[in-house]
Amino acid sequence: MEAAVDFEPKIVAFLCNWCTYTGADLAGVSRIQYPSNIRPIRVMCSGSVDPMYILKALLDGADGVLVGGCHAGDCHYVNGNYKARRRLAVLQEVLDESGIGCDRVWFRFISASEGALFAETVHEMVDSLKRLGPNPLKAIWFA
Amino acid sequence: MNNLVIPVGEEGRTRALNEVLGKLLELGVVDAMMVPTMVTPGVITYLLARDPEFARSKAEPFAPVMPVNGASFVAKVVSKKPKGKVCALLKPCEVRALTELVKLKQAEADNLLVIGIDCLGTVARGEYEKAYPDVDRLSVREACKVCLNPDPPDTAFAGINIGYIGLDDGRCLLASLSPDLDDRIRGVIEELGFEKGDGLADQRQAALAVLKEERGNSYEEFLRKTHAEQDDGGVCGIAKLLAACVGCRNCRVACPVCYCRECIFDGDVFEYETRQLLERAEKKGGLKIPGETLLYHLTRMNHMSLSCVACGMCEEACPVDIRLFPLFARIARRTQGIMEYTPGRSPEDPLPFTTFREDELEPR
Repeated sequence: MEAAVDFEPKIVAFLCNWCTYTGADLAGVSRIQYPSNIRPIRVMCSGSVDPMYILKALLDGADGVLVGGCHAGDCHYVNGNYKARRRLAVLQEVLDESGIGCDRVWFRFISASEGALFAETVHEMVDSLKRLGPNPLKAIWFA
Repeated sequence: MNNLVIPVGEEGRTRALNEVLGKLLELGVVDAMMVPTMVTPGVITYLLARDPEFARSKAEPFAPVMPVNGASFVAKVVSKKPKGKVCALLKPCEVRALTELVKLKQAEADNLLVIGIDCLGTVARGEYEKAYPDVDRLSVREACKVCLNPDPPDTAFAGINIGYIGLDDGRCLLASLSPDLDDRIRGVIEELGFEKGDGLADQRQAALAVLKEERGNSYEEFLRKTHAEQDDGGVCGIAKLLAACVGCRNCRVACPVCYCRECIFDGDVFEYETRQLLERAEKKGGLKIPGETLLYHLTRMNHMSLSCVACGMCEEACPVDIRLFPLFARIARRTQGIMEYTPGRSPEDPLPFTTFREDELEPR
């Protein structure tokens, strides 16, 4: 796609305070380069991310939303990440059925020690969104 | 299940069932009874009866109208543990919604007797009122035509189910008493001297099996058709479908399982200042007012679709006739499908968002 070359996707990232946010911080202090397309929002737990926040970001023009939580069994609040996984799975069904598509919302388990994985995830997501192109919801004024 | 036959005499099935309902109040095994009633000709609502004569003369258990999913009313009546025993006569989708509300801790089931009753569909409230008493020609609502559960769930509550499907000649009703039914109530009903009706119960089950298979096929067809009508391969389809939304939130009020006392959409979060609205409008060149229609409906789908009992009351409540039922039915089937959850089936099935398995839903 020609147009996609100049397109820089905007990603809103909801990152768990205990794991992924700290992982993102580690990527920073380790001087690992990753694209600046990401707008991180620190949340206390991926389980606290109501699907409404994700939908609002998408409907207000974000091209992608990344939710980052702790690895299985590592949740600071015991099982918030497992519950987030269920919420996100339901959200994906809603997105898919409504034609928005589920490729713009990613849920990843990234720990506090995985700075490199965080950077790699952002790279992958930016590439994937570039291929997808801009979020079509941006253009719909009556949504 | 203990199956008893309630004979229906010359005066009809309403009279026959009301006699039993009146007896429950008269003998003091229940203290109040919530039943559909007709307040003025053609207008159906609910009645909380304490006087047995009131129940006998005013209950309309077979009225083919559901102005509201009665589960919401039951939840209001028994939101805190009632002192007396409250009985509620409910249609299958009302029983299922109530089951969800009990699991969501919005209703207290301990002192509640639920009498579920077969339902072959309800007609739109307004149509019924206009046509009354000439109501036989009316056809049932779209949601009812494809309803997969015309019978109340067996396992929902330790109550009584009243059946008539498959008992074609209309000369009897079948009362199925749950094995866990309160002994006092069981005693009172058994003393009424009804005959055992296990044969009729089998006959009803056979008829239900046939009906459910037919409904299952038409449901699939209905979902396919409505999906094709909406789908444009992208997001425009659903945005167009919902574009007429005036933001009244009636669908949320009418939804029996949308239970929050205060909805996020009524809070300050969505109270924009002029400046914010202008900025938002500037981004796209202009905005539909009221805005965030799609956000509201998609959020609701995330919050309630797992408990959606497909009663279709959302669509009934819509003042601008948006076809919400097929949309919510499709979403609900998918979300309930991945969670392997059937809302209203049993109080024992945990709500999907309250539990998890360590090994599931991968890859994310």
